[in-house]
Amino acid sequence: MVTVTINGLDVSVEEGMTILEAARFIGFPIPTLCYHEGLSPYGACRLCVVEIGEAPRSRLVSSCTYPVEEGLKIRTASKRVVQARRMIIELLLASCPQSKTIQDLASAYGVRTQRFKQEYEDCILCGLCVRMCSEQMMAKAIGFRGRGTERSVGTPFDIQSDVCRLCGACMHICPACQLRCTYNEPEKAICNACANLRPPCLEKEQYDDMMCYMDPCVACEIK
Amino acid sequence: MNPEHIEKIIADHEGRQGAIISILEDIQDLYHYLPEEALRMVARKTGQSLVDIYGVATFYKAFSLKPRGRHLISVCMGTACHVRSAPGIVDEFTQQLGLRPGETTEDSEFTLETVNCLGTCALGPIVVADGTYFSNVKRTDVKKIIHKARTGAAGARSGRDERLFPVDVLCPLCGRTLTDAHHQIENNSSIALDVSFDGKKGWIRLSSLYGSTCRESEHEMPPDVLVSLSCPGCGRNFPEKLNCIECGAPMVPLEFQGGGVLYVCARSGCMSRRISLDVPVLRAETASARQA
Amino acid sequence: MEQLTSFGMFKALQERIVSESCPEIPTIVVPAGTCGQASGALELIRAAHHHILKNNLQARIRIRATGCHGFCQAEPSVYVEPFDTFYPKVDPARMKDIIQAALEGRTVEDLLYVDDAGGERIERLQDIPFYRHQKRTLLSQNERIDPLEISDYLKIGGYTAFAGLLADNDPARIIEDVKRSGLRGRGGAGFLTGAKWEFLARQADGKGKIIVCNADEGDPGAYMDRSLLEGNPHSILEGMLTGALATGADQGVLYVRTEYPLAIRHLNNALRQARELGLLGKNILGTGFHFDISLVKGAGAFVCGEETALMRSIEGKMGEPRQRPPFPVQKGIENKPTLINNVETWANVPVIFRMGVEEYAATGGGEETGTKIFSLVGKIKNTGLVEVPMGTPIKDIVFNIGGGQSGKGGVKAVQTGGPSGGCIPAELFDLPIGYGSLAKVGSIMGSGGMIVMDENTCMVDVARYFMNFLKGESCGKCFPCRKGTQRMYELLDDIAAGRGTPGHLDLLEELALVLKDVAMCGLGQTASNPVLSTLKYFRDEYLEHIENKRCPAGVCKALIHFSINENCTGCGACVKVCPEKAIKGERKQQHVIDAGLCSRCGSCKGVCAFDAIEVR
Repeated sequence: MVTVTINGLDVSVEEGMTILEAARFIGFPIPTLCYHEGLSPYGACRLCVVEIGEAPRSRLVSSCTYPVEEGLKIRTASKRVVQARRMIIELLLASCPQSKTIQDLASAYGVRTQRFKQEYEDCILCGLCVRMCSEQMMAKAIGFRGRGTERSVGTPFDIQSDVCRLCGACMHICPACQLRCTYNEPEKAICNACANLRPPCLEKEQYDDMMCYMDPCVACEIK
Repeated sequence: MNPEHIEKIIADHEGRQGAIISILEDIQDLYHYLPEEALRMVARKTGQSLVDIYGVATFYKAFSLKPRGRHLISVCMGTACHVRSAPGIVDEFTQQLGLRPGETTEDSEFTLETVNCLGTCALGPIVVADGTYFSNVKRTDVKKIIHKARTGAAGARSGRDERLFPVDVLCPLCGRTLTDAHHQIENNSSIALDVSFDGKKGWIRLSSLYGSTCRESEHEMPPDVLVSLSCPGCGRNFPEKLNCIECGAPMVPLEFQGGGVLYVCARSGCMSRRISLDVPVLRAETASARQA
Repeated sequence: MEQLTSFGMFKALQERIVSESCPEIPTIVVPAGTCGQASGALELIRAAHHHILKNNLQARIRIRATGCHGFCQAEPSVYVEPFDTFYPKVDPARMKDIIQAALEGRTVEDLLYVDDAGGERIERLQDIPFYRHQKRTLLSQNERIDPLEISDYLKIGGYTAFAGLLADNDPARIIEDVKRSGLRGRGGAGFLTGAKWEFLARQADGKGKIIVCNADEGDPGAYMDRSLLEGNPHSILEGMLTGALATGADQGVLYVRTEYPLAIRHLNNALRQARELGLLGKNILGTGFHFDISLVKGAGAFVCGEETALMRSIEGKMGEPRQRPPFPVQKGIENKPTLINNVETWANVPVIFRMGVEEYAATGGGEETGTKIFSLVGKIKNTGLVEVPMGTPIKDIVFNIGGGQSGKGGVKAVQTGGPSGGCIPAELFDLPIGYGSLAKVGSIMGSGGMIVMDENTCMVDVARYFMNFLKGESCGKCFPCRKGTQRMYELLDDIAAGRGTPGHLDLLEELALVLKDVAMCGLGQTASNPVLSTLKYFRDEYLEHIENKRCPAGVCKALIHFSINENCTGCGACVKVCPEKAIKGERKQQHVIDAGLCSRCGSCKGVCAFDAIEVR
């Protein structure tokens, strides 16, 4: 066990835990987007940043990747942390306003407007689907392509991957857009799983046998 | 695409660190882009998943998944070039070729691209056309560069170029001249040698022009064998000295009249040359001559 | 050359090489690095070879192709040993005169360097202002060796320091000495090299340890590493050998960016030669010490200069950074402990031991020791590579060595540290160069790019340029970096296009400060520096763009227009170059520009010999 100070509270936590795990275990909430208990930590959305150390040398680190250390001083909701999270949420809202997850975050942090050029993207590149596909489904059907502003998630060459088992787990875990079933726009689908379900879910008498994680499902709404 | 080539490239890098990137670089060198089938083959042969290989191929700027043109024009967009008006140079190329950076002309002649920094900042703006550097480029130079690229940028490869002078060399073993006035290459006497490889023996004639790598030979040589070169006069094999800078294969020395050595790489696919005019023995002689 | 299996053999070979060199024979030295070759150095060598062969001068004169000497402005140049004569901008047709003069111990008067200030001809290299004010500890080796010949490096005492340390076999002592020398990493943050080595040395031996030379010099406007890789590859190998001996590493990796083909050729050749001689590989000099180095080419990604991204790239993956800890020295390439230093750091290591730790530590000002190479480029008269002791004031570099501005406008700022750095205004030019001092004013040392900006450089445009660079080079993994750089670019683009509002500035600053705090890796954390430093020192330029819709430097196209004043002689030079055919006028009459057609490309201003094109 190691002893750390979280928001002024001295607590003993298990060695090897991350700050995020320790804080949540004790009961301090930390928002996350790219984190999932069943997947390896990724540290990309930066929403989970916390302040460690003491001023003036304190700094922000992503709590999902940082292991607890003996004597570490952690603040999960300092002014600096909240300010950073609010800016990240503003950036998220500017890119992906339709996501319920992001809308909830914005309301929790009191972010009411965003000041950038509005974009409507389907994906925030949190990588949950990519890790889901490779770590839990052992498929590696989808992955990241390109870099910088050109980065995207998809299959090699944008054609249906022959290792995709159409399991739909990628859609299930996506935080940006719960309405990701793209049966009607197959070219926009990540893995084309929904478009390639045989028979397609729109033929509803077959529906009971299908694996569908969509809630609500666009196809179901249409019917 | 030839599957054998890809297989050979993969075999060359087997078990090495960062092999995927090196493999893709070699494929790109060969085809000037990464064909889909090649990437699928790399995935199959190396046992890595296609998604990872595709990720690498799209992450790094050196790779292209689209076929590129015969001539590649790169405009440097480093800071030093930027403050010296490189964006205007790109505009001019865009106008003249009708291409935006990253695109290829319909006739597959030209590909235009911008690069971040070539590290020749003092000479900016810099344009590289098919490996030839153009420094301090102005908008008005763009037409000339395109023309030079179209006609073979180096431009100094023809026998008429006065700067390319012929050299006379001797056998380092017997001292006989190797110049063959009867067999002309590039309108000049050639250098006569004998060559043997894979059990075959025959003649080979090298261009005597400075810097040229032209050659003619009795038997066609496979691209990647080490050949033995020998003197047609005394018949002895030349000693192997020095290693080739390009490929690491041994090089054989041919002597200049009056001192100095022309080294020739003994690998059939390379046969590049290197001139060294320092000859230790001669150096010592002159030192004593000067003292006297 | 045969394999060396003992110190005795190494010494004997070195002595033989020194005794066989005849320093009294004049040598024509031609710098033929990438810059040199781009300016025509190979033509000079060809002309020299032609003249020597035609006149059978092989025994009386020598010719040496070397790496870059630093004075890029003067390329293609020739330097003659032992007379120390320097000829800038040489025409190949004049090579025969230079050779003839060298044979007779003369100089060719009309080819000598002419100093703009004094107007007189300067014969000796060391008297030229550009060189006189430098301390060229590393770079001066470049003119003395042919980088393709290991014997040249041995001749100037190369590998001696390493061989001595290998004989002593006291790793702890080496680390102590590197710490005492005060050497800091030359790649960016300036971490103490000796301390870094100590971390690696302390790691358990089990899996093997790796040391890496980071030669992914991605900063646009910086090329000192290229000149060392091309001009003196063996010094880097010797540095890495010393590091391996000190830390117990058994494997070395040179990670070189693919944009440097000549450097890659020279390094591959150097590795081959060192292996043949038994200075790399198994059982080095018969001592039982094993170490070998492999070369890995980068494939064009700026972010791979970041340590954790570089390691992933070496493993053959996408170059995405990851959060530290674990640090590379705990868990690096293939989970082995890994130490990464950049090219210039490794090249400094043999210098420390050849020069002596005390003398090295005495170079420089205060706590920061040794020399640092800068690439001085942009709107400066003498562009090139400049090596000065730490603590040299910026103004000495810009004015004494660089000779001041190249154009008509005065020097306004220097930008250091590449896209991660910042702009330092002319008022602060008394600042002594150092890691700490640069960080204090909002920039960084970085790898050593120093880009001079004058009155005709728009600081909004500079910030916009760097942000455009960074948004393309951000790996895209970390959300605030990917989106933050894109959004900052959009805001700057708005300002440059005249769409800026005061709200733009507030949002820009707010976003820049947050990004500095939350980004995952060094690229994102420093990406705000170009914005924050220009906002700090040149806020009035931003305000001019926003409030008065004016670009004071005359750069931002949407805010300027071109006109022709009464200086115009009607020569018609501008008419010929105008791509839009926007300039009209009778011959020998003042011309006019049709603002509707004008694309503000600046071609006319470039060709006008009479200062008649006005930009407002």
